[in-house]
Amino acid sequence: MSVVREVFEELWSMFVGDRRLTLLLLAVIGLAAVVAIVIGQKVLADGIILAGAVAVLADSVLAAARKSR
Amino acid sequence: MLSLATAAPAVGAAFVASTVEVVEAFTIVLAVSTLRGVRPALAGTAAALVVLGLIVAVLAPVLSLVPLAALQLPIGVLLLLFGLGWLRKAVLRASGLMALHDEDKIFAREQAELRAETAKAGRGADWLAGMTAFQAVLLEGLEVVFIVIAVGAGRGLVAWAAIGALGACAAVLGAGALIHKPLSRVPENTLKFAVGVMLSAFGVFWTAEGLGAAWPGGDLTLFALVGVFLVAALVMVALLRPRAVEAAS
Repeated sequence: MSVVREVFEELWSMFVGDRRLTLLLLAVIGLAAVVAIVIGQKVLADGIILAGAVAVLADSVLAAARKSR
Repeated sequence: MLSLATAAPAVGAAFVASTVEVVEAFTIVLAVSTLRGVRPALAGTAAALVVLGLIVAVLAPVLSLVPLAALQLPIGVLLLLFGLGWLRKAVLRASGLMALHDEDKIFAREQAELRAETAKAGRGADWLAGMTAFQAVLLEGLEVVFIVIAVGAGRGLVAWAAIGALGACAAVLGAGALIHKPLSRVPENTLKFAVGVMLSAFGVFWTAEGLGAAWPGGDLTLFALVGVFLVAALVMVALLRPRAVEAAS
């Protein structure tokens, strides 16, 4: 059973290793979905996903850097 | 006809990402092999490959039933989560805020742990060693399966991505068989940096396409997205390096 548990833990950590990064990224994608589907601004949605992903990465890296002090 | 601009990023990303995963699995299998012999190491590896084969055999037909457009959004989001996670660690390692991944150290640690556990296990020592190899190959293999599906499924390139992954397996196992030591000279941290950049770029690309957006420039946009993530990550490393030096002093 420990192998099965480890597999699920590994899968979980693959995508939710950093909870803050996951939640912020899902929020960015939710915003982009509203802009693309509800407002119909698809190029703007492209920009939101790209800029949002870079911003989420920067936030996560800075948070880890602050912790490592 | 399949263009190079479409297939090359998928094959390249699958090859580089799989190289990293196979090197990690190889280190543990080698630790098992040097401590308990080749038999449990090969048995555990073979069993894990059978399980991975079954997973692929079940997943492939299911995925082929789902329209590509429906796959792009979930795959894009998962790729972004996975890719940004790798890139985050790679930036922290490159800037000196996180210890570098060291296959020699991991090999020594795995051997020490396995030695202690097998000493306690008595007659079940080979079984325990086999299970260690099984678990390592299964866990790293699952990541390879995910990467192949994720970078290939959005454009129907799973077979091409699988060729990239198999090429990585052949290259790593070939090198491993020749030198019979942990592949610590593989620039794993640099490869992880590159993989994080590529997977994040794929993730942005598929997520936007999954939401119905079209990229100006089509598939060539992937190269521009790779450039954006690469520059952003390098800037983060440059900004964080003084902080790491300050923390170390």
